[in-house]
Amino acid sequence: MICAEPIIQRRNASGRSAMARERARTARAMLADCRLCAHDCGVNRLAGENGLCHAGAEARFFCAQTEVSDELELIPTFAIALSGCDLRCDFCITGASSWNPRAGAGFDARAMAVKAEAALQNGARTIMVLGGEPTIHLPAALEFVSLLPETAKLVWKTNAHGSAQARELLDGMFDIWLADFKFGNDVCAQRLAKVSDYVRVVEENLRWANEHSELIVRHLLMPGHVECCWRPVAEWLAANLPDVKVNLRSGFWPAWQAARHAELRRTVSRPESTRAVDLALRLGLNLVP
Amino acid sequence: MKKHRAKKGCASPGKNQVSELLILPDGQILVHNLTPAFAGLLHKLNPDDEHISSRVTRPPLLRSGAASTPSPKS
Repeated sequence: MICAEPIIQRRNASGRSAMARERARTARAMLADCRLCAHDCGVNRLAGENGLCHAGAEARFFCAQTEVSDELELIPTFAIALSGCDLRCDFCITGASSWNPRAGAGFDARAMAVKAEAALQNGARTIMVLGGEPTIHLPAALEFVSLLPETAKLVWKTNAHGSAQARELLDGMFDIWLADFKFGNDVCAQRLAKVSDYVRVVEENLRWANEHSELIVRHLLMPGHVECCWRPVAEWLAANLPDVKVNLRSGFWPAWQAARHAELRRTVSRPESTRAVDLALRLGLNLVP
Repeated sequence: MKKHRAKKGCASPGKNQVSELLILPDGQILVHNLTPAFAGLLHKLNPDDEHISSRVTRPPLLRSGAASTPSPKS
């Protein structure tokens, strides 16, 4: 039996930059039939067609700065937020920019790499690529990676709604996947983020990420969603990824279009927060601050 | 006519550092996009806040600041 070489080669110890450069070209060509996220639109973004994310061929960014609000082991991090997203979470705290891929400024990978290196020299521990959702801008993200030092610790902050094709291109590129598991059931996912088949897609991506890189799973606790969303997420993590690091975040605030949903017009109450943490502890989750 | 809300996030990406905060009636402060400088400010306001102090005591930055309550960025 003859085994064909995989189309996408795995990164060797010191070849991230070269591999990222090659994959950026591949990713860009894939925009002609874009299936980077699980919506699987198949539109030709190179020809100006738009899928559900409305993103074109060129990436833009709406924020790039050193921050300390992420997981303690990652901060200070130089965080670059790319405009646009494939989900439509009504409570998105950066909704105006995350829903609009034309928000912000054009993303110049080379200029951003210079800023990222400067941040590292000034004490940043990691470089984080996020959004919106960075997966829809994979060509730009990979080009950016190709311009960074091989030793830079890179974090891929994602909604975990990417496709298998996107995962292949990301394999070995980022040291840490920081992945959201937002909804514990497809009904809430459809109602609050207009996405179908959410749970299956995210679980598949989390399993993959755990096998291919370091993984931290984030859950933003939503008011009124402890039982329907956090409980199933926590129970799935305990059963399937029992050692994975989990960051349970209780700092929900009713941003963007959250007021469309009665239960999201407030912050998380202390009893809710306590109940959520108690559940995590009972299940033995590996909570990280 | 639809009412437009102020844009969130970095108004001029790459030029200004931006943190956003929400002060709750009970005195809690939620912070999004916490920069080192803002964390330092919050730490000065309440040195006993463990959420903030753990973020201020990171390796010192030479040019930019950082710190405050974990943000709900998602």
